[in-house]
Amino acid sequence: MIVRMSKLEIAGPKELLLEVLEVIRDLGIFQLDEENAAVADGRQKAWLHAQPPDDRVVAERLFLENLRRQTGEIIALLPSLETRESWLDPLAILDTIAATATRHLATCRELAERHETLRLEQEELGRYKVLLSAIDRLIEDSEPRSGLEFIGITLRDASFIERLRELLTYLVNGECTLTTTVAADGTLIGLITAPSSRSMAIRKALNDEQLPELPVPKSLSSLPLQVRVSYLDERLAANRCSMEEIEAELERFARRWLAFYRRINQWLAERMTLLSVTTSVRQTGMCFVIHGWALTNETDILEDRLDGKFSGRVAVERCAILEQDLEKVPVALRNPPYFRPFELFTRMLPLPRYSSWDPTPFIGIFFPLFFGMMLGDSGYGLVLLAAALLLLWRRPSGTLGDAARILLISSSYAVLFGILFGEFFGEAGGRMLHLTPLLPERSGAVIPMLIFSLALGASHVVLGQLLGLITAIRRHERSEAVVRIVTIALIACLACLMTSMFFPSPWLLTRSILLLAGLLLTLLIISGGLLAPLEMIKTVGNIVSYARIMAIGLSSALLSNAANHLAGLTGNLILGVLAAIVLHTVAIVLGLFAPAIHGLRLHFVEFYSKFVEPGGRRFEPLRK
Amino acid sequence: MEKILICFAAALAVGLCAIATAWAQSRIGAAGAGTIAERPELTGTVIILLAIPETMVILGFVVATMILNK
Repeated sequence: MIVRMSKLEIAGPKELLLEVLEVIRDLGIFQLDEENAAVADGRQKAWLHAQPPDDRVVAERLFLENLRRQTGEIIALLPSLETRESWLDPLAILDTIAATATRHLATCRELAERHETLRLEQEELGRYKVLLSAIDRLIEDSEPRSGLEFIGITLRDASFIERLRELLTYLVNGECTLTTTVAADGTLIGLITAPSSRSMAIRKALNDEQLPELPVPKSLSSLPLQVRVSYLDERLAANRCSMEEIEAELERFARRWLAFYRRINQWLAERMTLLSVTTSVRQTGMCFVIHGWALTNETDILEDRLDGKFSGRVAVERCAILEQDLEKVPVALRNPPYFRPFELFTRMLPLPRYSSWDPTPFIGIFFPLFFGMMLGDSGYGLVLLAAALLLLWRRPSGTLGDAARILLISSSYAVLFGILFGEFFGEAGGRMLHLTPLLPERSGAVIPMLIFSLALGASHVVLGQLLGLITAIRRHERSEAVVRIVTIALIACLACLMTSMFFPSPWLLTRSILLLAGLLLTLLIISGGLLAPLEMIKTVGNIVSYARIMAIGLSSALLSNAANHLAGLTGNLILGVLAAIVLHTVAIVLGLFAPAIHGLRLHFVEFYSKFVEPGGRRFEPLRK
Repeated sequence: MEKILICFAAALAVGLCAIATAWAQSRIGAAGAGTIAERPELTGTVIILLAIPETMVILGFVVATMILNK
């Protein structure tokens, strides 16, 4: 249901504004209303205005923003470690913190830059090492020959290899070789071995094709080829050692300072939120006035806390909610534990307005019922029940937890209706288990199921109309109330006429109902205008739409029967069991989605349109 | 002959409605997929829009059932 809200006005001396906002934020039960701030009790108070930030406030904000940027950078540069929670209150030592943060940021930047330089060098050396190893092998293989030149290249992907081979064949006609390998970082490296006389032409062609030659690292360029490998290994090991030292230093630093900077950063974020909120608070020369909303049952807590902390210097006044406020009142939903998971469905659409109804309890009652009627197989229900329990065990909270709870309830209804229809993995399963159908078998009783579905639809739609009628009466909308009453009476007349088609009834009674329907139709046009009969036709269409309960139920029953029949046709026990598992799995998946989507649609389109007014604002209190 | 005609009428009632529903759903589904990609919070609305044309085939099915049970 929609929780009752109170409209509050909090007033106090200007110097206490930030402290009051801190208390409000810590409680997390009050939503500031910026739109309503200029208007209190329906009168424009000209002497109340939003205070533009003065130079001192602007300077403070810039200082805090800069400090936040610095602390954020320090946190990003340090390794992410699990740290203790810090409870430091930084307000009194902000200047010291700023100086320390500037010094620490310089240290962290220097360490991070050194680490990055070493990492890049390691990568470069790693790639060159792959090339050198390949060259070593080639030198060993081609010792008798001399005058060879080696060209290393990095390839963007494997598709370039074939293109490169074609290019080399065209240029030097088989006088060179191309070998490729993958470096430790995943780069594809190619080595071209060619006579020195051809190297110029190859380099030019590679340049034209935008294939970059692998450069020799600066530290190796002056060394002869034979000592490069050993030097490379030494250099790699030294770099690795230096990187480990820097990482250890950063970790030591993080262990000492990370918790502190995380706390500072969090405090700065909260402080800046508060400062930004102050711009929307109306102020006079000496005091402030905060307008907003709180849950009625939590208003006392706010009053007590403010009274206790500021010894009566801050006043809280409960204002009357005027008619023009109704559209702006934020909406908070609070339902009993059974219905709470169904708020997931309510949140799929825009929230209902404060003066409207929360449809959650209704969807909580009818959705599982419709789902159970459509699936209507105790075997499938048990499988889905097990799936729901598994999901609930793995994800007990959050959206998936709510979905699991809805599935748990809905599949229980499917088991119940399965027993009533005598179905357990199809009608054959029910007969094997001697399940006596308490209702007619769905596959053979199309017309009775259709009538039952329509009757259920009529009841559901009439319930929606009744809720709409209550809303109209509450708002003193007489013509709307009359239209609702007449619509309900017309639905009742139609139901009676339908019943008279199946059961013999006196001629006079049928004529009387027809006459009454004609009179009601006239009344409907008078009270609701010329479009009211069209609305009535739409309502009848809504009721007929509930025939889908029968249609999907029938398809579900026939699908499970077909699965059993096809499994029986295999003539082999093992094949039959396998076929039955596959086919019933398909039927269960369909049996999960089709009833869920159509059950939701029946609520969202046919039911909600009768009484729910969308457009509510979510209650979002100021909190940490 | 009469039975064949009755069956044909029932098949037409469901078949034509199913084709109409499929056509409508293909259009709505394509637009809905694009909508969800840009604004996931509209998933509920898209599901409703996608399920609306199914009324046609369900009504066709009801008509076919009534024809066959006549």
